[in-house]
Amino acid sequence: MLVPIFTLKLNHKINPRMVTVGKFDGVHPCLTAATQAGKVFIHNPHARGQKPVAHRLSQSTQDSDISLLNINQAVTCLTAGTLGPNTTGDTLLVGSQTNLLAYDVHDNADIFYREVTDGANAIVLGKLGDIPNPLAIIGGNCALQGFDFEGNDHFWTVTGDNVRSLVLCDFTGDGKNELLVGSEDFDIRVFKEDELVSEMTENETVTSLCHMHDSRFGYALANGTVGVYDRTARYWRIKSKNHAMSIHAFDLNADGVVELITGWSNGKIDARSDRTGEVIFKDNFSSSVAGVVEGDYRLDGQNQLICTSIEGEVRGYLPASKDLKGNLMDSSAEQDLIRELSQRRQNLLLELRNYEENAKGVSETNSGMGVIPANTQLQTALSVRPATEAQKAHVELSISTPNETIIRAVLIFAEGIFEGESHVVHPSAQNLSGCVRVPIVPPKDIPVDLHIKAFVGGKTSTQFHVFEITRQLPRFSMYDITVDSSAAPPTGRVTFSINDRPQRVAMWLNQNFLLPEGVDSPDITMNSLRGGGLLSISMASSGQITLTTDDIDLAGDLVQSLASFMAIEDLSAEADFPGYFEELRTTLTEVDEFHSVHQKLTAAMADHSNYIRNMLVQAEDARLMGEMTTMKKRYRELYDLNRDLVNEYKIRSNNHNALLACLKSVNQAIQRAGRLRVGKPKSQVISACRDAIKSNNVNALFRIMRAGAASS
Amino acid sequence: MEINLNRVDYIQVGVTSQKTMRLLPALGKKATQKVAVADHDGILTCFGMKKGEAVPVFKTLPGQKIARMDLGGAAGTPQEKIFVCSGSQVRGFTKKGKQFLTFEANLTESINAMHVSGADLFVCASYIYNHYCDCKDQNYYLSGDKINDIICLSSENGTCLVPVLACQDRVLRVLQGSELAYDIEVPGPPSVLELYDKDGGEELICGTTDGNIGLVQIGECSAATKWEIDNDKKKGGILCIDTYDIMGDGVNDILVGRDDGTVEVYGFDSANEPTLRFEHVLSESVTSIQGGCVGKESYDEVLTATYTGWVTGLTTEPQKAEAGPGDEVRMSKEIQSKVEALRAELEQLQVKVKQGREQYQQTSQSSTAVSAVPVFSINDKFTLCQDDASYNLTLEVQTAIDNLLLQSDVPIDLLDVDKNSAVVSFSECDSEQPNGNFLLATYRCQANTTRLELKVRSIEGQYGTLQAYITPRLQPKTCQVRQYQIKPLSLHQRTHSIDQERPMNRLSLVGQFSFAEIHSWVVFCLPEVPEKTPAGESITFYFHNTFLGTQLEATYCKGEGHFKSDNISTISILSDVLSKEATKKKINLNNSYDINDESVSHTLKMIHPKLEYQLLLARKVQLIDALKELQVHEGNADFLIPEYRNILDESANLLEEYKKQPAHLERLYGMITDLFIDKFKFKGQNVKTKVSSLLEILDNYDLNSLLDFFNEA
Repeated sequence: MLVPIFTLKLNHKINPRMVTVGKFDGVHPCLTAATQAGKVFIHNPHARGQKPVAHRLSQSTQDSDISLLNINQAVTCLTAGTLGPNTTGDTLLVGSQTNLLAYDVHDNADIFYREVTDGANAIVLGKLGDIPNPLAIIGGNCALQGFDFEGNDHFWTVTGDNVRSLVLCDFTGDGKNELLVGSEDFDIRVFKEDELVSEMTENETVTSLCHMHDSRFGYALANGTVGVYDRTARYWRIKSKNHAMSIHAFDLNADGVVELITGWSNGKIDARSDRTGEVIFKDNFSSSVAGVVEGDYRLDGQNQLICTSIEGEVRGYLPASKDLKGNLMDSSAEQDLIRELSQRRQNLLLELRNYEENAKGVSETNSGMGVIPANTQLQTALSVRPATEAQKAHVELSISTPNETIIRAVLIFAEGIFEGESHVVHPSAQNLSGCVRVPIVPPKDIPVDLHIKAFVGGKTSTQFHVFEITRQLPRFSMYDITVDSSAAPPTGRVTFSINDRPQRVAMWLNQNFLLPEGVDSPDITMNSLRGGGLLSISMASSGQITLTTDDIDLAGDLVQSLASFMAIEDLSAEADFPGYFEELRTTLTEVDEFHSVHQKLTAAMADHSNYIRNMLVQAEDARLMGEMTTMKKRYRELYDLNRDLVNEYKIRSNNHNALLACLKSVNQAIQRAGRLRVGKPKSQVISACRDAIKSNNVNALFRIMRAGAASS
Repeated sequence: MEINLNRVDYIQVGVTSQKTMRLLPALGKKATQKVAVADHDGILTCFGMKKGEAVPVFKTLPGQKIARMDLGGAAGTPQEKIFVCSGSQVRGFTKKGKQFLTFEANLTESINAMHVSGADLFVCASYIYNHYCDCKDQNYYLSGDKINDIICLSSENGTCLVPVLACQDRVLRVLQGSELAYDIEVPGPPSVLELYDKDGGEELICGTTDGNIGLVQIGECSAATKWEIDNDKKKGGILCIDTYDIMGDGVNDILVGRDDGTVEVYGFDSANEPTLRFEHVLSESVTSIQGGCVGKESYDEVLTATYTGWVTGLTTEPQKAEAGPGDEVRMSKEIQSKVEALRAELEQLQVKVKQGREQYQQTSQSSTAVSAVPVFSINDKFTLCQDDASYNLTLEVQTAIDNLLLQSDVPIDLLDVDKNSAVVSFSECDSEQPNGNFLLATYRCQANTTRLELKVRSIEGQYGTLQAYITPRLQPKTCQVRQYQIKPLSLHQRTHSIDQERPMNRLSLVGQFSFAEIHSWVVFCLPEVPEKTPAGESITFYFHNTFLGTQLEATYCKGEGHFKSDNISTISILSDVLSKEATKKKINLNNSYDINDESVSHTLKMIHPKLEYQLLLARKVQLIDALKELQVHEGNADFLIPEYRNILDESANLLEEYKKQPAHLERLYGMITDLFIDKFKFKGQNVKTKVSSLLEILDNYDLNSLLDFFNEA
């Protein structure tokens, strides 16, 4: 069994996911992690007591191996690595909600300190695509930004939602790194520089990504799922009731292939085979794991796997030695094999017994056994139900038995459409019948597999037959065909041309919408049951398709879905969404306002801090002079001023949050405009929009969004 | 002194009941012993180990489920006759497998406990005890509650046998002939009895369903407890005990098997106190445990049988891995042949199963055929845990569980259990009345989960049913439902006596009801009351509230019932539920109350230390993070006042404590609110409007102001 080769208790809390190892002097690896109170600690057991105390750095009084770095802001992410071309050691990069700091620990100096309005939720350091210098790429609110060693911003693009995880890996296999971005809208996106090449949809916020080898990478979701992808195909995944805090690739059993190491919120560490997900090693911490990294911490030329817990416990593991034969767990493989085979035998025997007993027929009429006619088959049907007074609009799944048997309960396991992973319908004893109707309201337009388990039996049964059926809910299921002419026609529209027959478009409609009977022409008008108004699709004989809807997101989804169905690589489009564009225009003016308020408030704050300094001096003077009344007066004033400052701070933070929300919606607008196009035109629109925003040219921005980049 | 035991799996039989595996006596010195094990398929298997392989001696034909096994034989000869009971029948087999006895006990219920001694046979079926000598009826006794186990002590001169019954109402009953000699109170419901010295003596070991073990010395007319092992670590209930000198120090050690899969060996230290020497966790209930020598000569081992029928040894024989490096790669020949045999068998089975599957599929074409899948066996337990006043639900199935659906028509909280690795998902409950669901949760189990543990917290006064639908991974897929009653006074537990000094509230009922009727109402209201109407004219039960420590005395007979409690809410709930039940049967009840105002302040004073402790704990826990930050900032904690420094030092313990009792404070608040409403309900006032001011007072808790508020309002 594998045991840790070193264990440290650092006495400092560690913020989850903010752990790294850096060789800041180029030789000695130092465990670096963010801790409470806006500090970063650097554990350097190799060079004791040589650090001068100055600038940001201070020696911890508790432990001589640890130096503390004052950031004075809540740290949101950090990493270390080679950034500059001629530096001896690694650079430490620390991101917060408003700034990015690049810091040279060895020389104790800032390399650059940049304001990043979109915040830095995740950071990764390395080479991207054809950009010559390594970049520190941060992911914030819907935006990605890459800085070189001088702090120049060389890379910028937008993505669908707030970024939660980043990793660089050669996804396409062209020898250059692509950027993988996991975000809060459950998507993993792959960027080849600023061009989006792939998109994988998961069912929860993607909290961690890590590169395994070649084009293979691991991922973790906020609902406790961990898995491995090879390019766009998922190899395996597992789900736990705990949350994966950190994932890392490391070859723990020394077989030449890395394993996926996961640190869990309940303190468990496990290593899983990259091919099957089988656990080959596990260990337990007493508290949640904070981060999993690797480094040559003993300076003996061999990298160790270093696991840290949020309470500051650190354990290092060496890859298994040869004589363990890859068997890292504390059990005998032979015994396990025999046990597993016996278990399988037992299962088969039981199954066989079931068939035998069944063939014998029911000797006694035991009503509890749940005897049903052998030809019972469940019928399922999906249909769209518009809103009525009693119920909201929904998709109805009706499940019924053909005979007098009843359905005791229905379990539906599906991802992303229920609050948890399952939905249960359990009628009370008086309401049992052979038919169950399940209302489903998918919150997003995604295709979903519904794994239905229905318990079928008699009214007084205690044992039921379980019918397992899988039905697919099409992507656009919340749309109902209507010819309700009274509603105002939508003002927004997208127009583009394709080189394909109308029948193909009709086919796409039939596959992606829940239409009661199929359609054969691509001209259709529908009502969005989520309250988005009308949606109509029409196709001219020239191949020009017009989508009219007021919902720009829906238009984007439709364009993307249609393009992937028709296998279109590049598609440019013209669009106009007057309502949405008007909103965006207001938001842009608001951004300006918030900016100016922000500046004013910052100035006011500087004034106040000057006052405080003065008043404090005066008050202390008065105390020394023994003039108690003046001192009291001064302190009272100071107290008032302090209260004002606190209030001002609240205003400032409100203002800041509002600003962030606005910036996010601007970023989203660019992303949405991009989604109306496919391939090259898409990245062109995004970069053109970015330029327009940089140059503060609002009219140009709207022109690009309407016409696409080509015509500007 | 520690020992190291290695696990070896021998064979798997069907599902086993408690105490259905025994070791036959060894023939010569140091020879290996044969194992007899009986299962729910009715098969009695006897096997021995030869070169690492299980060689069957005999195997009986399937039949009715076997509930118990015992060994016997004429006095003075080796006890090598095997007795098994199934239904109301007892059968005897020789060690060669020849059936020499079939005895029909003519009981209406099935036998669930049995003891054999010479020509004497003792059997118990739920409430009934019967003694036969040479198959002739000798003695008979009707117990007040269910009998879980029976053992017989031979008295000093060896002529007379003293039977001891382990009864569900936390009592050991010592019999003399057909009469009760005396009873012994034990802390929990006893589940298993075993002689401390197999050759005789007056000492017996008793294990309880809540996990305690005690040694009791049975005297002529009284008993004394020699020692007890408390269940501090919240392990499972005791299912089986044996004594055997596995440590090899000349003193018999105690081997214990629990229902959470724990196997323990207790040795005795120099002060003759039992201490834990070895612990191993199997993944399923340990139904039988024996000490002896099975696998290899001269290596002693602890042999266990588990619920799903695995016979597993924990042997003193060192495992091969320790023999030297390099041996591990090549599997030993024995194991290799074993694996091959298994694989071959599997292949054959798979073919058979495929045929079965096809046939089953074919029947679905026919319009007259029916599909009836045999009922699978579930081992379930739903018990109140005294320490945190919540219910533990454990479910165990023979094969891996696929998923579990929990449904409840009464508001309950589902708590997270660390051991449980299944992914839980709560489904939205449509609050519209027709379905009346308060909880719908699914557990999707990880592969190879045969045992699930859940924790449920109930609220007193709200009652209904919790249902669990269990679907195992077995084709054709079926699921089985189990129901558990959440009773109105769900947090109460039976106790032997109560403190009569406390100020009590009284509820008296008079009406035209029979003894059986009022008993059924009490069964409906309170847990741990036997379903059978007690013998005699009237009965008294004592209870205590596991959460608050308040008590309840229930005395009733035909036409009359008296309930006394120091907690006014208990009385209020009882009165509501009993009236409702009586109305259902159209019986007119005459309720009268005797409310003691003192009792409310008394109860509040009883809650006070708990509440104060919880508040203090909550406050301390709140401070921990801030203090730690200060400590990091300043570099040390010397500048803090001692109280804060103390919090920092104790922080780990405090957090642990806090985590252990989630929502404890909210529960206390809820009970105080109930107390407040109930106090004034009996005065005919509705004070629901004042609850918000009560909560305000609780937020700034002070006992005196709370007492004042209760008195003034």
